[in-house]
Amino acid sequence: MDNARISSGDTRASNARILVVDDDREIAMAVEKLLTREGYEVIRAYDGMQALEALAENQIHLILLDIMMPKLDGLSATMKIRESRNIPIIIISAKSEDSDKILGLSMGADDYVTKPFNPQELVARVKSQLRRYMHLGDIANGSRSSQLRVGGLCLDTDAKQLTVDGEPVRLTAKEYKILELLMSNPGVVFSAEQIYEAVWKDVPYSVENTVMVHIRRIREKIEINPKEPKYLKVVWGIGYKIEKV
Amino acid sequence: MATRLRKFSTSPVTKAIAFILAVLIPTGLVVLALFANFSYLDTECLFVEDYFDSRDFANRMRKAAAEVSDTLYSRVPPENVPYYYYVSDGKKEWSNVGKQDKSFFEQFEPAFCSLENGQWSFGRSTDFTASDIYIDRLKYYAVVDKSNTIYVAYPSETSRAWEQKWQKDRETFMPMFMAAAAGIVLLLSLAAYLAAVTGRKPHDRDLHPGKTDSTFSEILIAALLLTALAWYAIIEPAFDENPIDTGKLGTYHIVVLVLVGIITSAAATICGTILLTLIRKLKAGSLVKHSIIYKIFYRIYDLAVSLFDGRAFSKYPLTKSLFYRQLIFIILSFVFVFLTFLFIALETYAALIPPVLEMVMIYWYIKGNNRTYMDINRGFDESLEEQMKSERMKVALITNVSHDLKTPLTSIISYIDLLSKEEGLPETAKDYVKILGEKAGRLNNMVSDLFDLAKSTSGNMPVDIEKLDLKKLIEQTLADMGDRIEKSGLAFRVRLPEKPMQINADGKKLYRVFQNVIDNALKYSLQGTRVYVALEENEGMAVATVKNTAGYEMDFTADEILQRFMRGDKSRTTEGSGLGLSIAESYTKLCGGRFKVDIDGDLFKVTISFNLVS
Repeated sequence: MDNARISSGDTRASNARILVVDDDREIAMAVEKLLTREGYEVIRAYDGMQALEALAENQIHLILLDIMMPKLDGLSATMKIRESRNIPIIIISAKSEDSDKILGLSMGADDYVTKPFNPQELVARVKSQLRRYMHLGDIANGSRSSQLRVGGLCLDTDAKQLTVDGEPVRLTAKEYKILELLMSNPGVVFSAEQIYEAVWKDVPYSVENTVMVHIRRIREKIEINPKEPKYLKVVWGIGYKIEKV
Repeated sequence: MATRLRKFSTSPVTKAIAFILAVLIPTGLVVLALFANFSYLDTECLFVEDYFDSRDFANRMRKAAAEVSDTLYSRVPPENVPYYYYVSDGKKEWSNVGKQDKSFFEQFEPAFCSLENGQWSFGRSTDFTASDIYIDRLKYYAVVDKSNTIYVAYPSETSRAWEQKWQKDRETFMPMFMAAAAGIVLLLSLAAYLAAVTGRKPHDRDLHPGKTDSTFSEILIAALLLTALAWYAIIEPAFDENPIDTGKLGTYHIVVLVLVGIITSAAATICGTILLTLIRKLKAGSLVKHSIIYKIFYRIYDLAVSLFDGRAFSKYPLTKSLFYRQLIFIILSFVFVFLTFLFIALETYAALIPPVLEMVMIYWYIKGNNRTYMDINRGFDESLEEQMKSERMKVALITNVSHDLKTPLTSIISYIDLLSKEEGLPETAKDYVKILGEKAGRLNNMVSDLFDLAKSTSGNMPVDIEKLDLKKLIEQTLADMGDRIEKSGLAFRVRLPEKPMQINADGKKLYRVFQNVIDNALKYSLQGTRVYVALEENEGMAVATVKNTAGYEMDFTADEILQRFMRGDKSRTTEGSGLGLSIAESYTKLCGGRFKVDIDGDLFKVTISFNLVS
């Protein structure tokens, strides 16, 4: 995977406290090690009830939550937490079906990582969520009409600047125009021809490859895992879109 | 003896007494009848009190009248007759008492009859309606000539003797008759009682079969009829024996009476036993079923039915039994039609029988077929149910195993990552960790491929079918894999049509299909060769082909390569799960397309086709 963005934008969110909940103690410990190495403070819990207790007793900034756990499962715990708290929740589960992911996200989770996860990717997702959570104030203040926002993506049309979770990302002119088109219409599927006409201002002829290559490059820049993109999605056999978040 | 009384006593003693009585009563009746026969009994005396009101008397008078009236034609008067008469045709007169007027005859009233002015009178009545052999004759004479006159009378001594015998007979036989009547009533009650209690025992409510019950019903009935017939044949001559003239029983008559009594009681015992046996069988419901005729007919019927209800072919599969039933139906129908025409040609009403049998057979045929269809349906439902159950179990198994494999794999991958970041490890250890990381990654891929395949083949994978352009999808896939294609050193020759190829499929799955197929070509192609990717329209189908030249000898068949875990190289050294083509095939099918592999020498060709939609 592409680690470029993660290592370059490595602003250590020191003294952020993360709650790791998993009934498998080795996994919980491994995740703790991965995160403490990045400078985070970690509290472990082994079931949903412990998680709720730890949450009540400590100042927590982010929760990593397994689904299949004794006493109180992850989805129920997510619902309980969401009744009172707005902190980021990342679900880590062996359940890898699309339907499981949709269910988890609709319960109020902010992200969904399937086991076995890539450790670097997990760390990157934690960072991404924390940045958004920590910089929520900035985002709210700096909300201007010239900014296009989709999830953690923010495209400033005046400055022609893209930030991902507050981190600036460099784009080529074509990449910027493609992203501007798609982000102006989140959820709308554009065909390669439509994108080419709008961006290249030319008659589209055999442009699928050209557009797809650009899309791939953009994905590598904005997505944590380009193979499982969160924002920029290919609608196979039809076109491309920015997911509505 | 504690006899339990339910409705009637069923004690053996009571039954035995009843049976003995039931045998003795008919014996007595027969003996009585024979005795009456010997005694010249006219049974009319039992019903008519006054002899002169009797038919016997009327017949005597009419017989005399008829004899006398014959004189009118024969002109010869009867002679030596026990009565007095006078007959005249108006011209000539005949008489056996000389010339006497009517008053002479009238004094013998009521043993007197006359014909005057074409009108008969018989003593007290002028009744002609009583059936009588002489009446026609008398009628005839009555209308011949009104001038005929006839007077007939019996002497008083004669008629008085008749009357006295009448009264004596009445006195002798009336008590016997009353006794006989009472005996018949008692016999009927006993018969009813015996019929009710036969087979029952005092201590339970069950029906106990007798020793004779195992005999077939026809044999019992035949024995009954034969006994009755034999009895009648023996008894009947006794009634022709000479009656007693003297009015007293002789030794001979007593012997005959005793013999008849013994024979009758023996016959009554046998018949009674048989009748009770038949009644027991009737009560047990086996009277008809436990008979030779029923058994023979039932066997034939059962054989016929078994041909249609499936029993005859129960060892064959259901569809085979349907076929055999059909065959028998057709053959028998032909036979019936043939028989019908044959009987019509013979002009016999038997022609009606085959159509009736045909109808019965059609009924059986339809019934038997329906049952077989039901059996087939049930079997189908059961196997479907079984399949559903095994599918559910398979899915549950996949889910559980998936979780159980992924959890330790998560730890392995996480700790390998931690280890690789560890400072101060020797170089060799770092190499080992790197290898561990690669293999763990491959294990991860294999596990996830395996579950994808298991889910898709168990039909438990949701598909999101939508209209898409296959041409665009292939272009996107190729562009997506552009880096790897470039690195592979293989030349890709892509030939796609100008216009879009719209099909219905799940885009994500179909992307995976083409990704796997192209991936396969990248992995196993001979260095420096070309890979041909083409899409064309063929008879309403969008047909995509990927052709490559294998970098090794393909000593397997197209079918084998689609088997799970089958890999082109037997040494299994290259990366990959070996499930790529299997997943591609399975996903293609899920999307409703066709997936075909052709191997021709070193040429490896995958054909994926979908129905085009407008």
